[in-house]
Amino acid sequence: MANVGKSRKAPIAFILPSFVLLIPIFLLPLGLGIYLSLHDKSLGFPQPITFVGLTNYHSDVVNTNFYSAVKVTAEFMAVAIFIQIPIGVLLATLLHSTKKFVSFFRSSLLIPMLLTPVAVALMWRFMFSSELGIINWLLKSLAILQPDWLGNVRAAFFAIAIVDSWQSIPFVILITLAGLASMPLAPQEAAIVDGATAIQRFRFVTLPLLKPVLLVILLIRIIDSFKLFDIIFILTRGGPGTATQTLSMLDYNTAFTFLATSRAAAIGVVLAAMSLPLYLLWKKIISVSA
Amino acid sequence: MSLLFSSALATTSTSFAADKKPASINVFVIPSPSADAIKKLAPAWTAKTGIKVNFTSVEYGTAHQKELLSIQTGKGEQDVVQFDNTFLAAFATAKALTPLDAYTSASKEYDMTDFTPSLQQYGDFGGKKYGLMLSTEPFIQWYRSDIYKSLNLKPAKTWDEYKANADAIQKSGRASGQLMGYGPNTTWWWMQMVWSFGGALYDSNFKPTVNTPQAIAATKFYKDLLSSAPKGALGVNGDDVTSQFVSTNIGQILQYAGYASGVFDPKMSKNAANIATAPAPAGKVNAIELAGWNIGIPSDSKNKSWAWNFLEYMLGKSNAANFLNAGAAAIGRTSITTNKALLAKNPYLALLSLPANATVYTYPSLVTWPEFDKVSEDGLANILSGKVSVESGLKKLNDALKVVLAKEPKH
Repeated sequence: MANVGKSRKAPIAFILPSFVLLIPIFLLPLGLGIYLSLHDKSLGFPQPITFVGLTNYHSDVVNTNFYSAVKVTAEFMAVAIFIQIPIGVLLATLLHSTKKFVSFFRSSLLIPMLLTPVAVALMWRFMFSSELGIINWLLKSLAILQPDWLGNVRAAFFAIAIVDSWQSIPFVILITLAGLASMPLAPQEAAIVDGATAIQRFRFVTLPLLKPVLLVILLIRIIDSFKLFDIIFILTRGGPGTATQTLSMLDYNTAFTFLATSRAAAIGVVLAAMSLPLYLLWKKIISVSA
Repeated sequence: MSLLFSSALATTSTSFAADKKPASINVFVIPSPSADAIKKLAPAWTAKTGIKVNFTSVEYGTAHQKELLSIQTGKGEQDVVQFDNTFLAAFATAKALTPLDAYTSASKEYDMTDFTPSLQQYGDFGGKKYGLMLSTEPFIQWYRSDIYKSLNLKPAKTWDEYKANADAIQKSGRASGQLMGYGPNTTWWWMQMVWSFGGALYDSNFKPTVNTPQAIAATKFYKDLLSSAPKGALGVNGDDVTSQFVSTNIGQILQYAGYASGVFDPKMSKNAANIATAPAPAGKVNAIELAGWNIGIPSDSKNKSWAWNFLEYMLGKSNAANFLNAGAAAIGRTSITTNKALLAKNPYLALLSLPANATVYTYPSLVTWPEFDKVSEDGLANILSGKVSVESGLKKLNDALKVVLAKEPKH
């Protein structure tokens, strides 16, 4: 009996340190966030904190600003999933197949990833300037229409997407290259012997073998685009109007500009809830990897 | 040694029931030329008092939230805090700042009479002074003297003249006619227009009034000026207006006087030698929009008298020229704006002495101002881009501002 008791306590003892860490860094802030979202704490209003129920959710989540931010966030996520990942995988495959200058490209690709997003955005902001920027100067030299990159609603979105892609595609390439390098050669050789074309080999051999790697990339890019903030803050501050205001920007403005702590907490809680489906993706990755 | 410092202090400072002399005081600053000047001159105060100055520097975006959080914990972490005047109402309402009236009225060194009446009230809320003026930044007109000379133009005194000058410059092909910040920060210029045209942002009952005939006329005029602005003006923020003016060809701008140090520095400004200044044009009302940093003492500071001593030393009359020469944005003391030696070097200083016949407008004293500002920016973006007409855009904006002002606490 004593041994049974010991064996029951042992797993708990192993798990306990994780919970000790999780409580202060995850559960406590989450609990405090939910508590604040149901009250009316504001740094600018010196009133006793009172329970207001779902008022903050009603005023700051059920409104056009929030819906617009959800739409913008989803659009940036779509760019990450449907543009950045395919381009990155394609470039990685090309690089892997040529075998030439791979180490040079790998080193070069690291550069955008090593730069801080704020510095990157400042650099691009200057390049996008209609008066001083090199981009419109180049377009003008080529007699191509020069958009008002940061002042036009659609152009501002594309400007952010370009900068984010410039920094993120190298990440996709590097991870895919690592996946390709660790791939067993036998299935590829067997496909060649069977007379498969390059496209068929990519479609039926490479891609299925890359699936675990691609799922990890997908998860990371979704998380990154969900919290996209610094590039937008520097390039457009969410403008023109609210055209490029993501959920993170909206939450930032509510918390740090309006000093409305409880309203920001309500947005934060909904943001956290919206990120829950990512857990399903994580489970899928685990099962595929296993 | 301590006695020696005390006697040195007695010659310059207001005598108050002094706190126990601390080993150091903590000063919270926001990166700016004024903050740099304070850091530069702090060792001199330390040499005089023996008190070390520890600086915490936090970028603008999160500074005010951190200041309020720090003060509301009540631990006395900071002794002096720099803040934007736009947050004055929030800080004062949150009882985060120490009223400074007793200090300022008793201080010969700070000398409130050295400020014109319109400047004396800067940093006041609800009849009490919570912040000293750390920079005096009225909107002024900046123009390219070389372009003006070649086209035989004179600085505008009215908005119609301003537009006529802009059109003439644009038509000449020498430069873009003018630039204002039509992107983020667009309210800086729009407010000036509304006030100049005799309008107001809200009434005494805190009801928004941005769709009155005056506000509509002002917004139409503001939008019309876009025709003489350079390409990309809709994405231009407050700082961009200055950086484009000093590095490209733009005939004239309206901008806060606080940008002077960069505009006239040849290392930062390609056009430094060809830039001159004039008062802001007048409309129906000779409105002058006044902005600038404030600095004050947190309500939870444990070293208030030494914090005041620091501020009195730094921003007092005796140190005013040093402060300016250390690179700070100028403070509009009369002793500075009439100082011939300083004026010879910095002619724009005369514009900081605001004329008695002008109506001076500071940023609205609203706790909800930051949200009011953001909602206005969002609404104006749709109007300026032509997505909606001025009339319908302002009506929609007025409705959106009603929701914001409904949250304003009574004061």
